[in-house]
Amino acid sequence: MNSKFLVKKITSYLLILIFAVWCLFPIYWLLATSLKTNLQTNADPPMFIFKPIIDNYRLIIQDPDIWHVFFNSLIVASGTTFFSLVLGVPAAYVLAKFKFKGNSDYSFWILSTRMAPPIAMLIPFYVMYNNFGILDTHIGLILAHISLNLSLVVWIMRGFFEDMPKEIEESSYIDGASYLNTFYKISLPISRNGMVAVGILCFLFSWNEFLMALILTDDNAKTVPVGISKFVGYQLIKWAELAASAMFMIVPIFIFLVFFQKQLIKGLTMGAIR
Amino acid sequence: MLLPSTIILLGLTIFPFVFGLILGFTDFSLIRPQNGMRGVGLENYIEIFTTEEFWISFKTTIIFTFFAVTIQLILGTLMAVLLHHNSKTAPIMRALYLLPLAVTPVAATFSFRMMFNPSLGVFNFFLESTGFAPLAWLSKPDLALISLIIVDIWQWTPFIMLIVAGGLASLPNEPFESAKVDGASDIQIFFHHTLPLLKPYLALAVIFRIIDAFKTFDIIYVLTGGGPGISTRTLNLMAYRYGMEYLELGYAASFAIIMLLIIILFSQFFLRKTNIYKTKVARL
Repeated sequence: MNSKFLVKKITSYLLILIFAVWCLFPIYWLLATSLKTNLQTNADPPMFIFKPIIDNYRLIIQDPDIWHVFFNSLIVASGTTFFSLVLGVPAAYVLAKFKFKGNSDYSFWILSTRMAPPIAMLIPFYVMYNNFGILDTHIGLILAHISLNLSLVVWIMRGFFEDMPKEIEESSYIDGASYLNTFYKISLPISRNGMVAVGILCFLFSWNEFLMALILTDDNAKTVPVGISKFVGYQLIKWAELAASAMFMIVPIFIFLVFFQKQLIKGLTMGAIR
Repeated sequence: MLLPSTIILLGLTIFPFVFGLILGFTDFSLIRPQNGMRGVGLENYIEIFTTEEFWISFKTTIIFTFFAVTIQLILGTLMAVLLHHNSKTAPIMRALYLLPLAVTPVAATFSFRMMFNPSLGVFNFFLESTGFAPLAWLSKPDLALISLIIVDIWQWTPFIMLIVAGGLASLPNEPFESAKVDGASDIQIFFHHTLPLLKPYLALAVIFRIIDAFKTFDIIYVLTGGGPGISTRTLNLMAYRYGMEYLELGYAASFAIIMLLIIILFSQFFLRKTNIYKTKVARL
């Protein structure tokens, strides 16, 4: 009995460990490649032990192209996050607090906007943007990203507002505060955690989104994923530099992961299970 | 307060949809913009359904979606259950497992592209050093599709794991304790008690994944570009090629409408079948 228990324990630990290695390895390999010389990246067999150098990073931070792409992503992701929250949170509040006819239909419609393959929206977007002259602009891509993220904001925040105890708001009404006042002064501050989680998710999705950015932007407003994919095409031989630029561009995500790990897990799980 | 978001969402979803629908009945192309939008009736649709390429891409998309999601489901559930029973390591491990979800897919796929390299990649190095023959990962049609599935599994298994973990945490204790008292083994308990209770969560995770896998773009674009030949070209990539490279926007629009119909029909069918509307999770 006891040895059987031990075997089970060891197997499960082993599986947990293997899966962790599997999850980490591609990221580790990207990091390792970025710290090699170009010659070392082409070594056969692949080098596991080498003296790490930061020359590749030194090289890429002098490249204005990389900063350009980086700031584009920063602008687009921040803009998307800001507008998605500003538009989505009040809508979520209404859906959570006021039961009206068609409430659930409306909610389902918002969710369904996420189901559509982006290409179905993108071709009309492309033609419209072409006519309005907002192809390859930050605002154009932000608008497209809002259409992706608004549904997420509404769904998650609705759950937060529904879970909020009624008494808190009722006492505010009794004190003579208006709906709007209660929303700003009471409900919003209480749901701060939820908004942080949702905000991080919006930022992440917008930062990582590829297809829309590929189609709707060009040299002026192209974002990180498009930048990386273009580099891959042009200079496939310079693996080390390419890996360094890829690492550099996912740095903001790692910062988010470190600082907001709890909120992120909460946000990701909340997004699915309410 | 609903109004601003409704207007924006209407503007950003319904309007493009209607516009796309109309576009799909024209032969509008940026190669000959002077012709403008000329109605061609159902011509685009007939052409799509009678091209062999469409059916090849359709099959590729189904194979990719089916295998990727199935393996993710099994692996994700397994890892969630293991973590649930090893609560000591769970917080650190969960943070590690989260990484693939957050990393920019294009960057991760680039890393995989290096690892899949036939002569210099680590995957072949591992194969050779354990006595297997090296594989031409990205240059053989079947293997290229498998490589894509591997990348998708890497990126999205954690998503299913997270949802299942959330489900496990919310399960009641009683049925498990009484089953243990009755002398059921862990595996019996899992299949007879845990799995049925998890069903709504699994259904939800699966539908989300199917919808997303069906429209996967970045991984395929960076790893194989749809090749070799058209062997890994999914519907999404084919629509992109026609729309953005051949600039046949009318044709691509009707293509996108077909994709939309497929996914709507399928998810309605799936949601009905699994009844997740009725459970608490359906509040999502």
